[in-house]
Amino acid sequence: MKLGAIWSFIAGDSRRAPLAVAVAVAAVVAVRHVAPGAGAWTGVLFVAIVAAGVVAGAFEKT
Amino acid sequence: MNGWLLASTSFLASAVEAVEALTIVLAVGMTRSWRSALSGTAWALVTLAAIVTIFGPAIVRYVPFAALEIVIGSLLLLFGMAWLRKAILRYSGRKALHDEEAIYAREVRALRGAPVTGASDRLGFVTAYNAVLLEGLEVAVIVLTFGASSAAALRFAGLGAALAVLVVGGAGVALRRPLRRVPENLLKFIVGIMLTSFGTFWSGEGLGIAWWHGDWSLPLIVAAYVVVAGATIAAARRPSAAMRTAA
Repeated sequence: MKLGAIWSFIAGDSRRAPLAVAVAVAAVVAVRHVAPGAGAWTGVLFVAIVAAGVVAGAFEKT
Repeated sequence: MNGWLLASTSFLASAVEAVEALTIVLAVGMTRSWRSALSGTAWALVTLAAIVTIFGPAIVRYVPFAALEIVIGSLLLLFGMAWLRKAILRYSGRKALHDEEAIYAREVRALRGAPVTGASDRLGFVTAYNAVLLEGLEVAVIVLTFGASSAAALRFAGLGAALAVLVVGGAGVALRRPLRRVPENLLKFIVGIMLTSFGTFWSGEGLGIAWWHGDWSLPLIVAAYVVVAGATIAAARRPSAAMRTAA
C-alpha cells in the first residue's frame, strides 16, 4: 500500500484540516515554552485552532 | 465517564461502517451465492481480529504514554475532522448524501454480469472479503487508537464495535435489504464530533495541557465543536454573493 493511500485513509482529502492540527500542536508547544503559566487557556487556544481547521476544511475545494 | 462515551462512539463509528459493508455483502449473497458472501465476510472478520489482537497490546506495552497520547490523539483528530467534513458537506448540500440503495443496485448490476463458477465463487468471495476488510479496518483503527490508552479503554471500544456489528448484522439478516433508513450522515456527524473531541483532549493532555476540571472539560469540547460545525453547515448552505448577483 502506498503512503499517499494510507494518508488519504486517515485524513481524507482535505489539506487544511491536517494543517490546522499541525498548527494547533505547534502553537501549544510554543505557548507552553513561552508562558508555562497559561494553564487552561492553552486548551482554549488548541480547540480554537482545530475548530478553525474544521471550518476551513468545509470550504475547501478538493 | 470516558468508558461508556468511548463505547458509544465506537458503537456509532462501527455501525456506519457495518452498514456500508453489509450493503456489499447482501449484494453478493443475493446475486452470487450466500456461501461466498458469508465465507468472505468470515475471513475478513478473522483478519481484523488478528490485527486488533496483535497490534493492540503491543502498542500499550512498548510506547511511552505521553507520546502515545499525542500520536493517538492526532490520529483521532485527523480521522474525526475527515468524518466531520464529509458530514458538513453532505448536510450543506455540497456533496451528495450517501445512498446505500444506489450502491446496492450498482453492485448487483456489476456482479450479475460475471458468470458464477461453481460453489467456490471467487469473485463473490473477494468482493465480500474486500468490503468487510476495508470498512472494518477503519473500525479497527478507531478501536485500537481508543484502546491504546488502557486495557479498560480497549475493552469498552471493542465492546462498542462488537455490539454495532451484531446489531447491524442482525438487522441485515432480518431485513435482507440495505439499511437505508439508518440516518448515516447523522451518525457520521456525531462520530466526527466525538473523534475530534477525544483527539483534542488526548493530544492536548499528551502535550501537557492542564484541561479545566480534567475529564469534565470533554463535554465542553464536544459542545464547542457542535456549535462550530452547526454554524459551518448553516453558512455553507447559503448561496454565495456572486451566485445571488447572477440570479
